[in-house]
Amino acid sequence: MADEVFGVEHVSYSYLGRIMALDDVSLTINRGETVAFVGANGSGKSTMLKVLDGLVYPDSGQVRAFDQLMTEQSLEDDQMIEMFRSRVGFIFQNSDAQVFSPTVREEVAFGPLNMGLDSSEVSRRVDDVLNMLDLSTLSARAPYQLSGGQKKRVAIASVLVMNPEVLLFDEPTAGLDPRSQRWLVELIVELARSGKTIVIATHDLETLPILANRCVVFGEDHRIAADGPTVAILDDVELLRSVNLIHDHVHRHDGTWHVHEHEPDHHF
Amino acid sequence: MTMAQAVTTTPRWLLESQVGLCSCGRNGLRRKTGFVEKTITGSTGLVRTVLRSDDIAASSGLMQSIDERIKLISIVLMLVAVSFVRHASLLLAAYAVTLVFAHLSQIPLRFFVKRVWLFIPIFTGIVVLPATLNVITDGRIVVPLGTVFGHRLGITSQGLQAAALIVSRVALSISLVVLLTLTTAWSRLLSALRSLFVPRIFIVILGMAYRYIFQLLDVTDEMYVARKARTVKADRASASGRRFVAATAGSLFGKSNELAQEVHQAMVARCWRGNARTLASRRISMRDVLWFGGCVFVALVVLVIDRSLGG
Repeated sequence: MADEVFGVEHVSYSYLGRIMALDDVSLTINRGETVAFVGANGSGKSTMLKVLDGLVYPDSGQVRAFDQLMTEQSLEDDQMIEMFRSRVGFIFQNSDAQVFSPTVREEVAFGPLNMGLDSSEVSRRVDDVLNMLDLSTLSARAPYQLSGGQKKRVAIASVLVMNPEVLLFDEPTAGLDPRSQRWLVELIVELARSGKTIVIATHDLETLPILANRCVVFGEDHRIAADGPTVAILDDVELLRSVNLIHDHVHRHDGTWHVHEHEPDHHF
Repeated sequence: MTMAQAVTTTPRWLLESQVGLCSCGRNGLRRKTGFVEKTITGSTGLVRTVLRSDDIAASSGLMQSIDERIKLISIVLMLVAVSFVRHASLLLAAYAVTLVFAHLSQIPLRFFVKRVWLFIPIFTGIVVLPATLNVITDGRIVVPLGTVFGHRLGITSQGLQAAALIVSRVALSISLVVLLTLTTAWSRLLSALRSLFVPRIFIVILGMAYRYIFQLLDVTDEMYVARKARTVKADRASASGRRFVAATAGSLFGKSNELAQEVHQAMVARCWRGNARTLASRRISMRDVLWFGGCVFVALVVLVIDRSLGG
């Protein structure tokens, strides 16, 4: 239990009480792990991240974080919420939702200011993170003046500045150009090496072996279809096909995915 | 069954090439721009204007170098002084000074003048027009307009003076506000509102509203472009335009609601507990103090001259 960061037991969640997102999900995430939630669109992996971050509360089942039970009531407790929010960072898929302040600098300062850090410490941290992510020249820019890749970097900066020990990424590489994708993958690997616990919701199978050691597969029935080492999961073509992550024309050989083209005379 | 049949249900016609609905080339008929397109173009124009204003605010002119709080307070002070001035000539002289400040702040004069005078004839002009008539402002008729029910109707010199006073006061006030807004980035202007004791939470909400205006404009633009890309026949009926506007409004409402929920989650995820906290402001420099002193001095001098002119 000492190494447990999150403990999820029999969690079910539905949107508006009718659209099922999670059905009887149980899993444990330990300190220092790099875990990927994979599954087809709508399988519940993003909802699972929001449950882990205490942004939505399960209809049934329970979630523990750092050995504390997470409920709507417990997260209203000042000490509990301060502890939890400063230890867990969430990078949303939609950077436009996460980058809400009038300027980049104010955006990055939002978290530490709300953590109650004094202004000199906030300024120091903001400067360091802006430098680290090569955002210093954009610090006075408004969000509408940023590209998609730049917004993603600002969103990441706004979370890293709080120095959380757990990072939850929702579809981190979605919508990014190849260069930004590579940069982000390298950053996540570096953060994982530094000992941070990383949980990623993704359906990008290409980067999966680099990003995560463990893979939790969500089926279209919103249940966990498999949970194991990433390499073993990726080698199980039948499993990936059954959860609609790959189709008949994609195969993996020697760690690389291959797409088989249709022969023209195969059409009809 | 082939492999393709096993995974898709693509209809045959989709895989066959199709000749366009009419022959290529022009028939000389042109489609007029509808009200929807004009509105969307207007929104793009707004973004362009904002970007230009941001560029001016980021340049290194005189007023850009002044602390935003000092600038805001000094402009408010000047506005109060302007409201007490009773001579149009003095107001016009002060207006000339704002032109000098605009130039020193690297604001293109044409842009500055246009921004101030574009709306004055429309709004203030209509309001003051009746005041020039002898039925409202009694006095010596300088422009006779005829007789109504046996009474002479005309524009009086006193009415013209009153109208000139109001128009010049409005023009000067707007010029001062435009000077402030063009030389200060919107985010800084918002944080400067703290110096006028505007609550922090109000400033945070205003800042977020301003930030997401552009997001929603983008969405609207994308929806319109998507519709335009699929509009084959010229659609001259304004009814379909109205239907599109209603559908866009409904869709935008849904999207903004969804976005608002996600933004709230993003705020909560970063320790937001309902207390707005902002970065510490810059320190006031000697230049700021001199600017403020200069503004107070000018306001006093204008008021003294106004009193000495009598009236």
